[in-house]
Amino acid sequence: MHMCWSPKKRTTSERECFSLVLLGAVFFLTTSGWAQIYLPQPPPEQAADYGKVIIGNASSATGPGPVVFDHWLHRAKFTCRLCHVDIGFAMQANASGITATTNREGFHCGACHDGKRVIGGKVVFASCSNESSSNNCNRCHSLGKKDVRKYTYRAFTAKLPKGYYGIDWTAAENQRKIKPINFLEGISVKRTPMQTRPDFSIKATMPWVHPIIFSHEAHAIWNGCELCHPEIFPTAPKETVRDSMFLNIEGRYCGACHGKVAYPLNSCIQCHPRGPIWAR
Amino acid sequence: MFRLIVFAMLLSTGLAAVGGVLAIGQASSSRSQSTARQEGWRKEFDDICSKTQDAMTVSKEELTVLISRCDALKPKLEKLDETRKKVYLERLRMCRGLYAYVLESKEKNDK
Repeated sequence: MHMCWSPKKRTTSERECFSLVLLGAVFFLTTSGWAQIYLPQPPPEQAADYGKVIIGNASSATGPGPVVFDHWLHRAKFTCRLCHVDIGFAMQANASGITATTNREGFHCGACHDGKRVIGGKVVFASCSNESSSNNCNRCHSLGKKDVRKYTYRAFTAKLPKGYYGIDWTAAENQRKIKPINFLEGISVKRTPMQTRPDFSIKATMPWVHPIIFSHEAHAIWNGCELCHPEIFPTAPKETVRDSMFLNIEGRYCGACHGKVAYPLNSCIQCHPRGPIWAR
Repeated sequence: MFRLIVFAMLLSTGLAAVGGVLAIGQASSSRSQSTARQEGWRKEFDDICSKTQDAMTVSKEELTVLISRCDALKPKLEKLDETRKKVYLERLRMCRGLYAYVLESKEKNDK
Protein backbone atom coordinates (compact mmCIF):
# COMPACT_ATOMS: atom_id res chain seq x y z
CA MET A 1 0.00 0.00 0.00
CA HIS A 2 1.30 3.33 -0.98
CA MET A 3 1.33 5.82 1.92
CA CYS A 4 1.94 9.44 1.25
CA TRP A 5 4.12 9.84 4.40
CA SER A 6 6.34 6.92 3.52
CA PRO A 7 9.99 7.66 4.43
CA LYS A 8 11.19 6.40 1.05
CA LYS A 9 12.29 8.79 -1.67
CA ARG A 10 9.23 10.90 -2.35
CA THR A 11 7.70 11.98 -5.61
CA THR A 12 6.30 15.46 -6.10
CA SER A 13 2.74 14.30 -5.34
CA GLU A 14 3.95 12.58 -2.18
CA ARG A 15 5.67 15.76 -1.07
CA GLU A 16 2.49 17.73 -1.67
CA CYS A 17 0.54 15.14 0.29
CA PHE A 18 3.05 15.30 3.13
CA SER A 19 2.88 19.09 3.20
CA LEU A 20 -0.90 18.96 3.31
CA VAL A 21 -0.86 16.53 6.24
CA LEU A 22 1.68 18.71 8.05
CA LEU A 23 -0.36 21.83 7.36
CA GLY A 24 -3.50 20.06 8.57
CA ALA A 25 -1.76 18.99 11.77
CA VAL A 26 -0.48 22.51 12.42
CA PHE A 27 -3.93 23.96 11.76
CA PHE A 28 -5.55 21.40 14.06
CA LEU A 29 -3.09 22.02 16.87
CA THR A 30 -3.36 25.78 16.49
CA THR A 31 -7.11 25.85 16.59
CA SER A 32 -7.75 23.21 19.22
CA GLY A 33 -5.78 21.98 22.21
CA TRP A 34 -2.59 23.93 21.66
CA ALA A 35 -4.48 27.14 21.23
CA GLN A 36 -6.52 26.49 24.32
CA ILE A 37 -3.37 26.10 26.34
CA TYR A 38 -1.23 28.83 24.86
CA LEU A 39 -3.61 31.60 23.92
CA PRO A 40 -5.02 33.91 26.59
CA GLN A 41 -8.47 32.76 27.55
CA PRO A 42 -11.08 35.46 27.09
CA PRO A 43 -12.29 36.95 30.35
CA PRO A 44 -15.81 36.14 31.58
CA GLU A 45 -18.61 37.58 29.46
CA GLN A 46 -19.88 39.55 32.44
CA ALA A 47 -17.24 41.90 33.80
CA ALA A 48 -18.95 41.53 37.19
CA ASP A 49 -17.61 37.98 37.35
CA TYR A 50 -14.02 39.00 36.68
CA GLY A 51 -11.89 38.62 39.79
CA LYS A 52 -14.63 36.82 41.65
CA VAL A 53 -13.21 34.57 44.35
CA ILE A 54 -15.15 31.77 46.00
CA ILE A 55 -13.91 31.17 49.52
CA GLY A 56 -15.31 28.13 51.18
CA ASN A 57 -12.76 26.25 53.21
CA ALA A 58 -14.18 26.87 56.66
CA SER A 59 -17.79 27.78 56.06
CA SER A 60 -19.12 25.28 53.54
CA ALA A 61 -19.69 22.06 55.40
CA THR A 62 -21.55 23.15 58.48
CA GLY A 63 -21.93 26.88 58.29
CA PRO A 64 -23.62 29.43 56.09
CA GLY A 65 -21.92 28.31 52.87
CA PRO A 66 -19.11 29.70 50.70
CA VAL A 67 -18.26 33.39 50.52
CA VAL A 68 -18.34 35.21 47.20
CA PHE A 69 -15.68 37.89 47.21
CA ASP A 70 -15.95 40.55 44.53
CA HIS A 71 -12.68 42.25 43.69
CA TRP A 72 -14.45 45.11 41.87
CA LEU A 73 -16.21 46.20 45.05
CA HIS A 74 -13.11 46.15 47.22
CA ARG A 75 -10.51 47.44 44.80
CA ALA A 76 -12.55 50.61 44.38
CA LYS A 77 -11.89 51.33 48.05
CA PHE A 78 -8.53 49.79 48.92
CA THR A 79 -5.16 49.30 47.28
CA CYS A 80 -4.11 45.72 46.48
CA ARG A 81 -1.23 46.22 48.92
CA LEU A 82 -3.45 47.01 51.88
CA CYS A 83 -5.30 43.68 51.67
CA HIS A 84 -2.57 41.41 50.36
CA VAL A 85 0.32 42.79 52.44
CA ASP A 86 -0.99 44.59 55.52
CA ILE A 87 -3.98 42.38 56.18
CA GLY A 88 -2.21 39.32 54.83
CA PHE A 89 -4.68 37.86 52.34
CA ALA A 90 -2.98 35.25 50.18
CA MET A 91 -3.05 35.56 46.40
CA GLN A 92 -4.85 32.23 46.05
CA ALA A 93 -8.38 31.46 47.19
CA ASN A 94 -8.64 29.48 50.43
CA ALA A 95 -4.96 29.93 51.23
CA SER A 96 -5.28 32.65 53.89
CA GLY A 97 -6.88 30.51 56.57
CA ILE A 98 -9.79 32.91 57.08
CA THR A 99 -12.19 31.72 59.76
CA ALA A 100 -15.03 33.30 61.73
CA THR A 101 -12.60 33.48 64.68
CA THR A 102 -9.91 35.38 62.79
CA ASN A 103 -12.58 37.78 61.54
CA ARG A 104 -14.04 38.29 65.01
CA GLU A 105 -10.58 38.97 66.40
CA GLY A 106 -10.14 41.83 63.95
CA PHE A 107 -8.02 40.12 61.32
CA HIS A 108 -8.67 39.15 57.69
CA CYS A 109 -12.17 40.43 56.74
CA GLY A 110 -12.60 41.61 60.33
CA ALA A 111 -9.75 44.10 59.88
CA CYS A 112 -12.35 46.39 58.27
CA HIS A 113 -15.61 44.54 58.85
CA ASP A 114 -15.69 45.06 62.60
CA GLY A 115 -18.88 47.07 62.97
CA LYS A 116 -16.87 50.12 64.09
CA ARG A 117 -14.53 51.19 61.34
CA VAL A 118 -15.82 54.05 59.21
CA ILE A 119 -14.86 53.92 55.54
CA GLY A 120 -16.27 56.38 53.03
CA GLY A 121 -18.49 57.88 55.73
CA LYS A 122 -20.17 54.57 56.52
CA VAL A 123 -19.68 52.13 59.37
CA VAL A 124 -18.51 48.84 57.89
CA PHE A 125 -20.73 45.99 59.03
CA ALA A 126 -19.19 43.39 61.34
CA SER A 127 -18.22 40.08 59.78
CA CYS A 128 -19.09 36.82 61.52
CA SER A 129 -20.40 38.70 64.52
CA ASN A 130 -22.48 36.68 66.98
CA GLU A 131 -24.98 39.48 66.88
CA SER A 132 -25.27 39.45 63.10
CA SER A 133 -28.60 38.69 61.57
CA SER A 134 -28.70 36.01 58.89
CA ASN A 135 -29.10 38.82 56.34
CA ASN A 136 -25.66 40.09 57.25
CA CYS A 137 -24.18 36.58 56.99
CA ASN A 138 -25.66 36.26 53.52
CA ARG A 139 -24.06 39.45 52.30
CA CYS A 140 -20.77 37.58 52.16
CA HIS A 141 -21.85 33.93 52.29
CA SER A 142 -23.84 34.41 49.15
CA LEU A 143 -22.92 31.61 46.75
CA GLY A 144 -26.10 30.42 45.05
CA LYS A 145 -28.30 32.86 46.96
CA LYS A 146 -30.33 35.47 45.11
CA ASP A 147 -30.84 39.13 46.03
CA VAL A 148 -28.71 38.99 49.15
CA ARG A 149 -25.91 41.31 48.03
CA LYS A 150 -26.19 44.98 48.81
CA TYR A 151 -24.24 46.22 45.80
CA THR A 152 -24.67 45.27 42.17
CA TYR A 153 -21.84 45.66 39.68
CA ARG A 154 -23.89 47.74 37.29
CA ALA A 155 -25.05 50.28 39.87
CA PHE A 156 -21.74 50.42 41.71
CA THR A 157 -19.62 50.99 38.62
CA ALA A 158 -22.07 53.18 36.70
CA LYS A 159 -20.02 56.36 37.15
CA LEU A 160 -16.61 54.75 36.74
CA PRO A 161 -14.74 55.05 33.43
CA LYS A 162 -14.96 51.95 31.28
CA GLY A 163 -11.95 50.40 29.62
CA TYR A 164 -11.26 47.79 27.00
CA TYR A 165 -12.85 45.31 29.36
CA GLY A 166 -14.80 46.30 32.45
CA ILE A 167 -13.62 49.26 34.49
CA ASP A 168 -10.50 51.26 33.67
CA TRP A 169 -9.24 51.38 37.25
CA THR A 170 -6.19 53.50 36.47
CA ALA A 171 -8.37 56.12 34.79
CA ALA A 172 -10.82 55.93 37.70
CA GLU A 173 -8.03 56.77 40.10
CA ASN A 174 -6.53 59.45 37.87
CA GLN A 175 -9.94 61.09 37.55
CA ARG A 176 -10.36 60.89 41.35
CA LYS A 177 -13.48 58.77 40.97
CA ILE A 178 -11.93 56.36 43.44
CA LYS A 179 -9.44 57.01 46.24
CA PRO A 180 -8.17 53.62 47.36
CA ILE A 181 -7.16 53.55 51.03
CA ASN A 182 -3.59 52.41 51.63
CA PHE A 183 -3.36 52.59 55.42
CA LEU A 184 -5.47 50.99 58.12
CA GLU A 185 -5.01 52.23 61.68
CA GLY A 186 -4.01 49.41 64.01
CA ILE A 187 -3.16 47.07 61.14
CA SER A 188 -0.80 48.84 58.74
CA VAL A 189 2.79 49.67 59.51
CA LYS A 190 3.76 53.34 59.28
CA ARG A 191 6.22 53.31 56.42
CA THR A 192 8.66 55.78 55.02
CA PRO A 193 7.36 57.36 51.81
CA MET A 194 7.78 55.27 48.70
CA GLN A 195 10.84 55.84 46.57
CA THR A 196 9.44 55.65 43.07
CA ARG A 197 11.38 53.61 40.59
CA PRO A 198 11.65 54.75 36.98
CA ASP A 199 9.49 53.17 34.31
CA PHE A 200 11.30 50.87 31.90
CA SER A 201 10.67 48.98 28.72
CA ILE A 202 10.74 45.22 28.43
CA LYS A 203 11.67 43.68 25.10
CA ALA A 204 8.86 41.47 23.86
CA THR A 205 9.79 37.83 23.32
CA MET A 206 7.89 37.82 20.01
CA PRO A 207 9.81 39.80 17.36
CA TRP A 208 6.66 41.24 15.78
CA VAL A 209 5.53 43.10 18.90
CA HIS A 210 6.81 46.42 20.18
CA PRO A 211 8.28 46.47 23.69
CA ILE A 212 6.19 46.69 26.83
CA ILE A 213 6.32 49.99 28.67
CA PHE A 214 6.24 48.92 32.29
CA SER A 215 5.20 51.56 34.77
CA HIS A 216 7.01 50.67 37.96
CA GLU A 217 5.40 53.64 39.66
CA ALA A 218 1.81 52.69 38.82
CA HIS A 219 2.39 49.13 39.94
CA ALA A 220 4.24 50.07 43.11
CA ILE A 221 1.58 52.54 44.24
CA TRP A 222 -1.11 49.88 44.09
CA ASN A 223 0.92 46.87 45.13
CA GLY A 224 3.84 48.07 47.20
CA CYS A 225 7.09 46.18 46.66
CA GLU A 226 6.68 42.96 48.62
CA LEU A 227 3.56 41.83 46.80
CA CYS A 228 5.57 41.32 43.59
CA HIS A 229 9.08 40.72 44.93
CA PRO A 230 10.36 38.12 45.37
CA GLU A 231 7.39 35.77 45.09
CA ILE A 232 6.09 36.72 41.64
CA PHE A 233 9.25 38.31 40.27
CA PRO A 234 12.30 36.74 41.92
CA THR A 235 15.81 37.80 41.04
CA ALA A 236 16.94 36.13 37.85
CA PRO A 237 19.92 36.32 35.50
CA LYS A 238 19.44 39.01 32.86
CA GLU A 239 19.18 36.47 30.03
CA THR A 240 16.29 34.63 31.66
CA VAL A 241 13.09 34.86 29.64
CA ARG A 242 10.47 35.28 32.29
CA ASP A 243 8.02 37.65 30.76
CA SER A 244 6.85 35.48 27.88
CA MET A 245 3.15 35.35 27.16
CA PHE A 246 3.22 31.59 27.62
CA LEU A 247 4.31 31.99 31.23
CA ASN A 248 1.82 34.79 31.77
CA ILE A 249 -0.97 32.58 30.48
CA GLU A 250 0.10 29.92 32.96
CA GLY A 251 -0.56 32.48 35.69
CA ARG A 252 3.04 33.31 36.39
CA TYR A 253 4.75 36.72 36.37
CA CYS A 254 2.34 39.34 34.94
CA GLY A 255 -0.27 36.58 34.76
CA ALA A 256 -0.38 36.38 38.56
CA CYS A 257 -2.74 39.39 38.41
CA HIS A 258 -3.41 40.10 34.73
CA GLY A 259 -5.95 37.59 33.54
CA LYS A 260 -7.38 37.13 37.01
CA VAL A 261 -8.02 40.53 38.57
CA ALA A 262 -6.09 43.22 36.73
CA TYR A 263 -7.04 43.82 33.08
CA PRO A 264 -6.99 40.61 31.01
CA LEU A 265 -4.02 39.35 29.04
CA ASN A 266 -5.82 39.70 25.74
CA SER A 267 -6.04 43.48 26.22
CA CYS A 268 -2.77 43.55 24.23
CA ILE A 269 -2.63 47.29 23.72
CA GLN A 270 -2.57 48.00 27.47
CA CYS A 271 0.91 46.51 27.86
CA HIS A 272 2.11 46.86 24.27
CA PRO A 273 0.85 50.39 23.57
CA ARG A 274 2.51 50.50 20.16
CA GLY A 275 1.03 47.17 19.19
CA PRO A 276 2.60 44.93 16.51
CA ILE A 277 5.47 46.31 14.44
CA TRP A 278 3.35 46.69 11.31
CA ALA A 279 0.81 48.90 13.09
CA ARG A 280 3.16 51.87 13.61
CA MET B 1 -14.47 37.08 125.14
CA PHE B 2 -16.48 39.51 123.01
CA ARG B 3 -13.40 41.69 122.54
CA LEU B 4 -11.44 38.64 121.41
CA ILE B 5 -14.07 37.76 118.78
CA VAL B 6 -14.18 41.35 117.49
CA PHE B 7 -10.37 41.44 117.37
CA ALA B 8 -10.26 38.11 115.46
CA MET B 9 -12.87 39.37 112.97
CA LEU B 10 -11.02 42.63 112.39
CA LEU B 11 -7.75 40.78 111.98
CA SER B 12 -9.16 38.33 109.44
CA THR B 13 -10.87 41.18 107.50
CA GLY B 14 -7.61 43.11 107.46
CA LEU B 15 -5.61 40.11 106.26
CA ALA B 16 -8.19 39.38 103.57
CA ALA B 17 -8.02 42.99 102.39
CA VAL B 18 -4.21 42.93 102.25
CA GLY B 19 -4.30 39.58 100.40
CA GLY B 20 -6.87 40.94 97.95
CA VAL B 21 -4.84 44.05 97.20
CA LEU B 22 -1.73 41.93 96.65
CA ALA B 23 -3.61 39.50 94.40
CA ILE B 24 -5.11 42.32 92.31
CA GLY B 25 -1.70 43.95 92.13
CA GLN B 26 -0.11 40.72 90.92
CA ALA B 27 -2.80 40.14 88.31
CA SER B 28 -2.53 43.68 87.09
CA SER B 29 1.24 43.43 87.00
CA SER B 30 1.03 40.15 85.06
CA ARG B 31 -1.41 41.77 82.64
CA SER B 32 0.82 44.76 82.11
CA GLN B 33 3.83 42.47 81.60
CA SER B 34 1.86 40.52 79.00
CA THR B 35 0.79 43.76 77.28
CA ALA B 36 4.38 44.98 77.36
CA ARG B 37 5.57 41.71 75.83
CA GLN B 38 2.86 42.00 73.17
CA GLU B 39 3.73 45.61 72.49
CA GLY B 40 7.36 44.56 72.32
CA TRP B 41 6.95 42.18 69.39
CA ARG B 42 4.54 44.53 67.63
CA LYS B 43 6.90 47.46 67.95
CA GLU B 44 9.76 45.36 66.63
CA PHE B 45 7.59 44.07 63.77
CA ASP B 46 6.46 47.58 62.82
CA ASP B 47 9.99 48.91 63.01
CA ILE B 48 11.46 46.15 60.85
CA CYS B 49 8.74 46.25 58.21
CA SER B 50 8.54 50.04 58.01
CA LYS B 51 11.38 50.15 55.52
CA THR B 52 9.87 48.04 52.76
CA GLN B 53 8.87 50.98 50.58
CA ASP B 54 12.38 52.36 50.31
CA ALA B 55 14.24 49.08 50.58
CA MET B 56 16.21 49.90 47.44
CA THR B 57 17.83 52.86 49.19
CA VAL B 58 18.84 50.82 52.25
CA SER B 59 22.49 49.75 52.37
CA LYS B 60 23.52 46.10 52.10
CA GLU B 61 24.72 46.13 55.71
CA GLU B 62 21.41 47.51 56.93
CA LEU B 63 19.50 44.96 54.86
CA THR B 64 21.53 42.17 56.45
CA VAL B 65 20.66 43.53 59.90
CA LEU B 66 16.97 43.76 58.97
CA ILE B 67 16.97 40.14 57.77
CA SER B 68 18.61 39.02 61.03
CA ARG B 69 16.01 40.95 63.01
CA CYS B 70 13.26 39.19 61.02
CA ASP B 71 14.81 35.83 61.88
CA ALA B 72 15.07 36.79 65.56
CA LEU B 73 11.45 37.92 65.66
CA LYS B 74 10.03 34.77 64.06
CA PRO B 75 10.25 32.53 67.17
CA LYS B 76 8.45 35.22 69.19
CA LEU B 77 5.62 35.35 66.66
CA GLU B 78 5.38 31.56 66.73
CA LYS B 79 4.43 31.79 70.40
CA LEU B 80 1.43 34.04 69.73
CA ASP B 81 -2.15 32.79 69.65
CA GLU B 82 -3.26 31.01 66.47
CA THR B 83 -4.80 34.01 64.72
CA ARG B 84 -1.96 36.44 65.34
CA LYS B 85 0.60 33.76 64.57
CA LYS B 86 -1.04 33.04 61.22
CA VAL B 87 -1.32 36.68 60.20
CA TYR B 88 1.98 38.07 61.46
CA LEU B 89 4.15 35.16 60.36
CA GLU B 90 2.82 35.61 56.83
CA ARG B 91 3.44 39.34 56.95
CA LEU B 92 6.94 38.81 58.32
CA ARG B 93 7.66 36.28 55.57
CA MET B 94 6.80 38.85 52.90
CA CYS B 95 8.79 41.56 54.62
CA ARG B 96 11.88 39.36 55.01
CA GLY B 97 11.50 38.08 51.46
CA LEU B 98 11.66 41.59 50.07
CA TYR B 99 14.78 42.51 52.02
CA ALA B 100 16.48 39.29 50.92
CA TYR B 101 15.45 40.01 47.31
CA VAL B 102 16.83 43.55 47.39
CA LEU B 103 20.05 42.39 49.02
CA GLU B 104 20.49 39.67 46.39
CA SER B 105 19.80 42.19 43.59
CA LYS B 106 22.35 44.61 44.99
CA GLU B 107 24.96 41.87 45.32
CA LYS B 108 24.33 40.80 41.72
CA ASN B 109 24.66 44.37 40.50
CA ASP B 110 27.97 44.74 42.30
CA LYS B 111 29.46 41.72 40.50
